[in-house]
This record gives sequence, structure tokens and C-alpha cells, in this order.
Amino acid sequence: MNETLTINTTINGRSRSIEVEVNHTLLDVLRDEVDLTGTKECCVVGECGACTVIIDGRPMNSCLMLAVEIDGSEVTTVEGLEIHGELNVLQASFLDESAAQCGFCIPGQLMSATALLHDNPDPTVEQVQEGLAGNLCRCAGYEQITKAVLAAAKEAMR
Amino acid sequence: MNRFQYARPETVAEAVALLEEYGDDARLLAGGTDLVIELRNRWVEPKVVIDLKHIPELTPSITVRDDVLSISASTVMTDIAEDELVQRHFPALVEAAVVVGSVQIRARATLAGNICNGSPAADTSPPLLVYDAVVVIAGPEGTRRTPVDDFIVGPGKTSLGRGELVTAVELPIPQRPFGAAYTRLTRRRGTDLASITLCCGVDTDGHTRLAYGSVGPRAFLEIDDTGTLADPSVSIEEKVAPLDQLFHRASPSPKSLRASPDYRLAMLRVLGARALETALGRLTKEQV
Amino acid sequence: MKSVGSSPRRGGGLGRVTGHQQYLADIKLPDVLQVKLVTLPVARAKINSIDVTEAEALPGVAFVMTSADLPQPMPRFGPQFQDRPVLADGETKYHGEAVAAVAAETKEIAEEAVRLVKVHYDELHGGVYSVAEALADNPLLVQDPKLRGDSPLAHTNIIDEKHFGWGDIDSQESDLIVEDTFQFPMVTHFAIEPHGFMAAPDGDGIEIWSTIQHPYLLQKIMAKLLDMPLAMVRVHAPDPGGGFGGKQIPKLEPLIAYMALRAQRPVRLILTLDETFQTVRRSSAEVRVRLGFTENGVFTFQDIETNFLVGAYVDIADRVVSKSSYSAAGPYSVPAVKIIGRTIVSHTTPSTAFRGFGIPQISWARESVIDEAALRLGVDRLDIRLRNLARYREEFIPLEEADGDWEQTVRTAAKRIGWNDPLPPNRGRGIACGMKSGPTTGLSYSTVRLLYDGSAMVYAGTSDMGQGARTVFAQIASDELGVPLENIAVVMGDTAVVPYDQQTSASRSSVLMGTAVQRACQDIQGKVLTMATELYGINEDAVKTVGGRLLLPDREVTLTEVMQEALAPLGGEVIGNGEMRKEKDPNHPLGGTAAFFEFNCTASEVEVDMETGHVTLIKHVTVGDVGRSLNPKQVTAQDDGAAIQGLGHTLMEHYIFDDAGRVRNIGAIDYRILTSMDLPLEMHSESIENADGPGPYGIKGVSEGSLLVTAPAVGAAVREATGKVIRDLPLTPQRVWEALQEDENGS
Ligand code: FES
Ligand code: FES
Repeated sequence: MNETLTINTTINGRSRSIEVEVNHTLLDVLRDEVDLTGTKECCVVGECGACTVIIDGRPMNSCLMLAVEIDGSEVTTVEGLEIHGELNVLQASFLDESAAQCGFCIPGQLMSATALLHDNPDPTVEQVQEGLAGNLCRCAGYEQITKAVLAAAKEAMR
Repeated sequence: MNRFQYARPETVAEAVALLEEYGDDARLLAGGTDLVIELRNRWVEPKVVIDLKHIPELTPSITVRDDVLSISASTVMTDIAEDELVQRHFPALVEAAVVVGSVQIRARATLAGNICNGSPAADTSPPLLVYDAVVVIAGPEGTRRTPVDDFIVGPGKTSLGRGELVTAVELPIPQRPFGAAYTRLTRRRGTDLASITLCCGVDTDGHTRLAYGSVGPRAFLEIDDTGTLADPSVSIEEKVAPLDQLFHRASPSPKSLRASPDYRLAMLRVLGARALETALGRLTKEQV
Repeated sequence: MKSVGSSPRRGGGLGRVTGHQQYLADIKLPDVLQVKLVTLPVARAKINSIDVTEAEALPGVAFVMTSADLPQPMPRFGPQFQDRPVLADGETKYHGEAVAAVAAETKEIAEEAVRLVKVHYDELHGGVYSVAEALADNPLLVQDPKLRGDSPLAHTNIIDEKHFGWGDIDSQESDLIVEDTFQFPMVTHFAIEPHGFMAAPDGDGIEIWSTIQHPYLLQKIMAKLLDMPLAMVRVHAPDPGGGFGGKQIPKLEPLIAYMALRAQRPVRLILTLDETFQTVRRSSAEVRVRLGFTENGVFTFQDIETNFLVGAYVDIADRVVSKSSYSAAGPYSVPAVKIIGRTIVSHTTPSTAFRGFGIPQISWARESVIDEAALRLGVDRLDIRLRNLARYREEFIPLEEADGDWEQTVRTAAKRIGWNDPLPPNRGRGIACGMKSGPTTGLSYSTVRLLYDGSAMVYAGTSDMGQGARTVFAQIASDELGVPLENIAVVMGDTAVVPYDQQTSASRSSVLMGTAVQRACQDIQGKVLTMATELYGINEDAVKTVGGRLLLPDREVTLTEVMQEALAPLGGEVIGNGEMRKEKDPNHPLGGTAAFFEFNCTASEVEVDMETGHVTLIKHVTVGDVGRSLNPKQVTAQDDGAAIQGLGHTLMEHYIFDDAGRVRNIGAIDYRILTSMDLPLEMHSESIENADGPGPYGIKGVSEGSLLVTAPAVGAAVREATGKVIRDLPLTPQRVWEALQEDENGS
């Protein structure tokens, strides 16, 4: 049993060995220790989705996880979406649809959308809304975000 | 969060030993969707947090043996909702699992955690009651099984004793046609804690099982054997009174922020009738 | 003109989709101390003493700041009245008011230390939590009369009472008079980015980082509090992650600055979402409306009384009251109007600006009473509005003219919703009109640099908090200078670098700062033109400037080509300055006329579940009179967003208090806002574009219009579906159900 633990994890394709305090959340460790500040903090109770990251293929709220829980897992944050420095289809689509307003919720939205399209490459409007219901946007760009996800799905299937 | 030790047992026996040693100073970590909030707000200040996800027997799995479906303790809501066996035999459990929080929460929250938390509003309690689920418990004395109705005690309370933990939840696969439906009352369509959770199941022998939560200290199971409720030829108007009787244990708190007692009681009737209709519809479908 | 009117990708968009955008909380200052606030679990308390010994003994704690550590008497500040103390001054006046603050090496230590600060206090029982309590005889006074100067109202809870109007309402002949009172709840901004503040001593001055929308206002307030010249106060204002008005006015920056000066180190305070609930909210209001009509549904008078409950400190709320009350009669032509508007303090979170600036509160009441009149008169609810709408260019309020074809806007909304289409069972439709005055004064400066390689930098003191100001300014500069969008950088958010801008509010930026940017570009055009005359030895009148090009007698050249030729071989750049003023008008009750009106017509169709009271939005239409869309996609996004935010206060948002004045539903779990699953099944946002606004290319401001009348439009639809008038928001399922029960009991 420990108060700190060295964990091995792959973050955005890069394997890392990080010593973490066992009572630190994944969100804190990503932002404060790994310096990946793209993942955002808002409600810290799993309601807003600003802190969403993908862990072993599934979207999760990093504010509700202890960092020790990603030991042995693969984590993707918003910083891991670009492919060779180029925007991926989803990111480009968010820009084209003006889906990012203030942008603060957008990293979380992108992560949920990425996970959704991975499981369901051709979703309906309702499925997108359902898949992203855990990501609040107070600029309320929901219409634009949904459009962007659908457009990205189309684009990816071409 | 306070400073605590993090333990990662690799066997159930190790976990049990830790629980015995630390008692109330230990907290189990499965999905963590409730625990991390409690820790952050310092509602709990454990000496040790025991992570169950590295115990091979508890890793996510849904299996069937002898007409019993067994869901291991680390199985999350997403796994349950996506599982074909669960979809086929326990559609009302799927309906409950898919409304637990958001996609992100469902990827993390476990079924075992949902009932161990002892929240009166736990979405999965009513279907587990209706499907007559059994909780498998490991402890210092070995393994025991207890009906979920006995397992759930009150707000934050279960029948788990010192040193005990849930290793699986078992659901007997109905051997005769059974129609069931889950429904809930929320303030918005998007993710929300329910002000009422309700599940209704009917079979062809005239039995109706109805379970409801969020309107008292725990979810309650009621069984109607009169045959009236389960009879598709009886009009819904005639079922109002017998349905009403099933809600006699409802005692919604006036202090709740989510809905007033009057509204909840009235909605129990509305949702009860709607779930019954859906369950009957499904039963008819099962028969053809 | 290529860029304006199109929808290029958002300026700053790249950082927003890659995670590289640096919001305040993403900025790391070296050697920083983390701050946590100490608050009490009660609303009102008399603070007897604060014992910091144990907290300060904790390793890693730098110090605990209490009011005793601040200059005496307690420094106070505010945009209108200097009433807000830096820390609670002897008494907390609302639930969540900070009484002390800990500075420590880590967040965790700071949190731990907060638990060790011993505040000895007595809870004060009773408090002013409602309009009725505030206006009772011999009320408990929220503010110390000594701090109210010579105000004749110093011994009341009324900060100010405004009287507006024209004509004589008592001498009007009416066939019908309708009167009713409506309530609008307290709601909060809930920006997804919680407020954050940092400060660091900088030689003789100070540097402050804030999520503020008005960096120059913060600079001014800090300079005054700290007695420093403006030049020594540098404010960094990174793009806010959503503002909606909640980040306009300084709140905790002074505290942080005093702490940085004490520590002689950088300090940092990032609020939790929960703490933002106790930092900003919208004013609640009780609005009484009495309307007179002829039998044809033509207004004879309006008599409106607004009581805004603004909270413990006034912040900008008194301006909210005056500005919204002044146009309380709405976009109508009314012969006689009497308006009384009151700013009332209470023991609750101080309210501040919030999208719509008081108009949603008033229009909820006014538009609902108009519907009642229409029903009683047997006049269609659309027609009654059309009959009374102010005509284009009519002076419908003294000194204010209707600056758009509002009838066209209303007719478009009616058509879009299918106003006369048959209604399926359990459905209802509603339509409502409202307008909000844009800025009444303004001052914006911009500097634009045309760099030697033909790229450009635009300096604008606007805050881009999602409305897309960066994009729009770049679009303007692109067209005026002939520089491709991707070669334009827009610089914002640093008072040491960017020239003055009064503020980012009231949907002003495209109009005011947009004009300043355009003028700065024109300044460049002029300078390059002079270069051309010298270079080519031609006369000024022989050259014409079109967009980014010069038409010479024999050929066409770009501004860049001329500049490069003129500045070679040393290189260099051409700098342009632009200024836009909207002057004060001393004769106007608000100090100035509206730069423009944001007029909006909202129409909604709902279906009500008569058993549960759930309201489903079938279709929601908003049409705004925008002058011109500089960037149609951004306009639509702002409009949809405003409408959805309006649906929040209409359907689900409100603070819930306990008897002791504590907010019970703080945070994201029990304060619900709309998710992607709560949207109307169909949504339309449309713009009327007649290029008749005062801004560049004929634009008016946008971004608030679509939430001005959301509540009355939806409320009217619910009323038509259920036959019930509900006077309180939000229209929760429970509230609708309760209304539906009334007829069964005959009450
Ligand atoms: S910050 Fe994690 S869900 Fe809101
Ligand atoms: S873009 Fe501002 S919160 Fe979503």
C-alpha cells in the first residue's frame, strides 16, 4: 500500500512512467503534472464533461478518477487528436461548422464525439445528442456541434 | 481529499482481509463515480482505498450458467447495456443501465457499485428487484448469496457485514414469458438523477412485480397475485385502484430539491400505469 | 468585398479544437501561491474574530488574509457604487461571501488550511431574501446607511427608484385594462470556464490576470484601489471560456492583488463551479404590468412597475434596472407610458450583467399580459403585436427611434412557426416580441499594422469569449486592406499592448470596435495613398481606394505593393489608428441614445404531457433584425446559443433557497441547464438583413436577441396547450402539473 505510486501508461501514444499521489485525480495529474491543459476543469462531479478523456477506447470523466486507475491503460486527450500535426476530420469539421464558440467545452465534446464515432461511425442526430449529453456547452452550440459530428462521420466514410 | 493509502489486492481473499482489518476506515473503489466525489468533498476520509479492478475474478464479465446470468462486480453499465444476453432476457435492466448518468459515467459506473451505494434513487434497483436478482457476497466466512430485496436496506445502507464485499450479481433467466419495463421521472431529458425510478414486470400466470425507488428510504418491491394488473383485457381505469395500493410504502421526502411529495406520489401512479402497459405489451410480444 | 458576409473558420478556432488555447487556468506562473477562499455555511453572520494560528502553522501555508490585513477602512469598489468590500467587512451579507483567504504552496495545502481557519461568528437570523421582505415596513437594512452617502433612500433597501414614461396614463380611454404580476427567478451564468484570477507584483506596479470581459475597467478600478498610475497596472485578459455578462465586472481581483502585494509573489485563485454560483447571478424580478387597450387591441397605455432583487452589493445591477426599465414598454407604439423601476438589495449573491440585461425579466411579464388581453379581446395574439409595433423610424420612446423593419421580422417568425396551421392535441404556440437597447455610450480604439510582407496585425481591446470578435475584426481588416484572412493576427487581452476599449458588452463590439478597426484600416489606406502619390508623382484625386487596392490612372496595385516599394530598402510597416466614440447625451435619461436596438421575435410550439407536466419543444423560431450578418455562421451560433440559454431560465433553471437564505442547489447536480438532449426538436434562427445598422457595412449588434422573449413565447405556448397561466419561472414539469391540477379542484 502506498501514498504515491509509479504508474505506467500511454498518453497520446507516448508511454510514460509517472509517479503520482494516490489521492490525486487523473484530471489534476494531466493538467498539473503532465502539462496537458487541453483537458478542462469545471464541475468536478461528472456532470459537465469538460474533463472527458478516452481511456482504452471509452470516454470517461477524468475528474472522477484517481490517477492511479490509469496504470496500464491507454489515455487519449484532446492534444492527441491531431494526426502528424494536422487536424483530424472531427476537429476540422468543428471549425467548419463554427461549433467552437468560447471553446472551453470543446475538448470534452471532441473526446466524446471521437468515442462515439469509433463505436458508431454513422450515427443519427439522436445518437449524437445522446452520445454527447454528458458534455454541457453553455454557449449552447449543440446544434453546430451535432452538425459537425454528423459531417465528420460523412467525411470519414467517404 | 485526505491522504490515504491505496491498496490493489489481487485476490478476493486479500480484499476481504483488508476490509476486515480496516472496517469503516476502508472504502472500496470500483468505478469511483460516487467515491471520488465523496472523497473530494471529504464526506468520507478513509485510511485506505481498495481498488477492486485488479482482482481477476471481478473483472468485467457477463456469463450464463444453469439459467442464471451472472454479472461480475467490475462490470460497468456500458457493458451491461451492450450485452446481447442482457438485452434478450432483461430488457428493463438495459433500460435502467442506459440512463445512469452520461456515456462517460456509464463507462465507469458498475452495477455492483450502483446497489452498494445504497442510494434510494439507484436506477438499477427496481429492475433487479423485479427480476429477483441475487447478490453474491464474499466475506471472512466464505461466499453467501442474498436476494437483492434483503441486500438493500436504506439510504447508504446494505446488508454487507464487516469484511464483506459484492463479487457478482446474479439474475435468474425467466423460464416463462415475462414482460418488463423500466421508467423514471426526471427534470430534464438529458442526464439527471431520477425523482422516481420504477420497474414493472408481468408474467402469463397473472403475477405482477412492481418495484419503485426514490420515494422513500429504499426501493420497494411489491407483488400482485390477483391477476387484475397482469390481465391485458382489464382496462387501465380499472387498474388505477389496485396499482395505487402497491405504492403504500412510498413516503417521498418534503426536503427534496427535485420534486415535491405530492407530485411524486401523483407521478408514481402515472408512471406505474405506463410501465405496466409497456410490460404487458412486451409480454404479448414474447408470446407470439 | 470578399470576407465580410462569408463564414470563414473562427479566429482562435485552431487553439480551441486542439486544446492549445490558453485559458486563464492554463497559464502557469512560476513560484505561484495557490489561494482558497474561506466562507461560512450560513448566509448572514456577524464575524467576531478569525483565528489563523493553526492554519498558518501548517507547513506550506504562506499566510491567511483576513479583513484585518487589508487597509482600513476596508477598501470598497464597484462600477456604480463603491459598496463591495474586498473581503466581508465584519458581517457576511450572503451565503458564500468570503471572510478570509489562504495562500499556500499547493492547492491541497490551501484546502487543508481553510479547514483550520477558525472563524468565530454568530449567525444572524432573519434576512432579506425577497422583494416583499425588502420592501416591508421597517425592514432589516441590507446596506449600512452610512455607506449610502446622501441618498434619500439610505434608510430603505431601495438603492434607486427610476421614473420613466411619457403621456398621461390616467387620461387615456380604454376598452380593456389588464393587470398581472409575474416573477422571474434567480439564475446563474454557469460559464463552463469558472472565474479565475492571478496577480503578481511587477516592480512598482502589478500584473493581474483575470477571466474578465472588461480589462480596462479592471485596470481603472485597480489603479484607484491601489493608488497606482494606470501605466503600472497591467491586465492580462485571456479569451474567457464564456462570459454572458458574468465576467464583466471585477469581483475577487482586488483581493488577489492585495495578496500578491503582501506575498511579493504571484498568487492564483481559480474558483470552483460551485463558487461561481455565489459570485454571479442574474437579478430576479417581480414585474407588475397594467395595460390598457381599445377594443381593437391597440394600446392606450402601459403602466409597469419593476422590482429587481439585486443582491447584497449593487455591482452593475442598478444600470440593469434603469436600462431595461427605460424600454419596459417594449417595441410598441404606446401613447402613454408610466414606468417605475426599483433596484432593491437583498441578502443574496450579488447579481450582475447577464445576457439580455434585465429585458428577459420584464418581457416575461409584459408579453404574457399582452396575450391575456388578446384572448379577452378576441384578437389574434400575432395581430395584437403587429397592430402596435413601432413603425420603421418612428420615435417610439422619447429620443429613440425604431431602427429596423420590425414588422418584417415578426411576420417572418410567424411564417416560420406556421402560426395559422392547425394544432394537434396537447400542443400550443406562442409568439413574443422584445428589444434591447445597444450601448448608449462607447469608446473603442484600434491599431492596425500592415507589416512589410503584406500581413497585418489588428489590436483590439475586445474580449473574445465565444462571440467571435477575432474573426469579425479579421474579416473587416481583410477586406479593407486586401490581406488574406490567414495572414492577419488579432491581438487582444493585454492592456500593456492593446489600446483602450471601454468594454465588451451590450453586443457592441462588431459595431463599435468594428468601426474602430475599419477606421484604422482606412487610416492605413490613406497613408499608402499618400505614398502612392509621392512614388508615382500623381495627384491624390487621380487615385481611388477600393478595398485593399489602389486604382491608379493606368493600373491597379495592392496596398502591400505600394508599401513595399515605398519602404524599401529599410523595410518597416504602416500603422493605422482608428477611434469610435458614441458620445454621451446629457438630455437622455440613460445618458445616451441606443446605438441600435436588438429586436427579436420568438415563436415556439410545444407539446405538454398532461399527466406529467413535461413540456416538449416541438419547434422554436427566433428571428432577429441584425442589419447585416458579417459572419452568418457565427450569428446563427450566437442566436441558437442565446435561445437555448433562454430555454434554460424558461424551463429548468433557478436558485432554490432554504429558510436561512442558503442556496441549496449549488453546482451542476441540482442546478440543471439544457443538454444536447433537451433541445427543441426543430430550431430555426433567422436574420433580417436590411443593412440599416450603424456599424460597418450596416450591421447592428447581435447575440442577446434570441433570449429576450424566450420565456413569454414558450409560456404562451404552454398556456395555449393547457389553458393555464403560470406566473413563475421556470416552467418545470412539477409547476405545469400543479397548474393543471387547479381546475380539477376548482381553484
Ligand atoms: S469537470 Fe469532470 S465532468 Fe465536469
Ligand atoms: S463553446 Fe463555450 S461552452 Fe461550449
